[in-house]
Amino acid sequence: MLRMTILLAGLLALAGGIAPASASSTAKPPATAAHRMHVIVIDQMQYGPMPTDVRAGDIIEWTNHDILEHSATARDGHFDVDLKPGTSGRITATAGTFAFFCKFHPTMTGTVVVK
Amino acid sequence: MNKPLLALALVFGIATVASVQAQTPAAASPAPAINDAQIAHIAYTAGVIDIAAAKQALQKSHNKDVRAFAEEMARDHAAVNEQALALVKKLGVTPQDNPTSQSLSKNAAAELKTLAALKGSAFDKAYVDNEVAYHKAVNGALRSTLIPSAQNAELKSLLETGLKLFQSHQAHAEHLAQSLN
Repeated sequence: MLRMTILLAGLLALAGGIAPASASSTAKPPATAAHRMHVIVIDQMQYGPMPTDVRAGDIIEWTNHDILEHSATARDGHFDVDLKPGTSGRITATAGTFAFFCKFHPTMTGTVVVK
Repeated sequence: MNKPLLALALVFGIATVASVQAQTPAAASPAPAINDAQIAHIAYTAGVIDIAAAKQALQKSHNKDVRAFAEEMARDHAAVNEQALALVKKLGVTPQDNPTSQSLSKNAAAELKTLAALKGSAFDKAYVDNEVAYHKAVNGALRSTLIPSAQNAELKSLLETGLKLFQSHQAHAEHLAQSLN
């Protein structure tokens, strides 16, 4: 029984470790010293303050507090996160400067610098 | 083109409601110019009108940007109206028809008829110009009359959210109008 529990725990840990960042998940990522999570809140048709000191491998999460559907869509097509009202979505950051916008409301824009 | 008329109708309609209210006997505290049931009706009607305009644009326009804008209008106003309906149901309020709603609907019907006669880029330009004027008028009414008059906190909050949303629509419409010139 103990072996089975350890095996299951190992499988779950492995699955969690290799799972890609989900665009629709609201679960918090594993907290590690190396990688941090940065949350951008969407409210009243605006992206909140852009996170600073973002490093490659960090998680960037958008949380939609609006009553409308939004998205975080990269100008260069690198990512396209759909955000239904009240949901969150995330990506794993890679180095560079990326501009994004809401494909449903193109006046909503933001830019994050990842070191 | 009835843009000025539309704006006037909105203000005049509200003034008419205020006038009717003013004829009621004086109470200990002054009654608001319009009540929440009327405000809910006006806000809902304004959304329905823009959805109808968007549907017309989606039937007539072949311009990619104009169609994207129209889709945005149809989607967002439907979502806000859905929230508004849920709120009035929760509050047990029956939206109340009033001169402002009637003026809005009458002018919108005339505008739809005008736009129906246009084609191609002439339609696109007229539709987008009207959207700019319409959102300016509605945003002005929200800011100066509807939000200050709303008594229920949840209704006031929804109207404030709506104002932010419609200001974004106005900015999008203005940007689009410039690109069509």
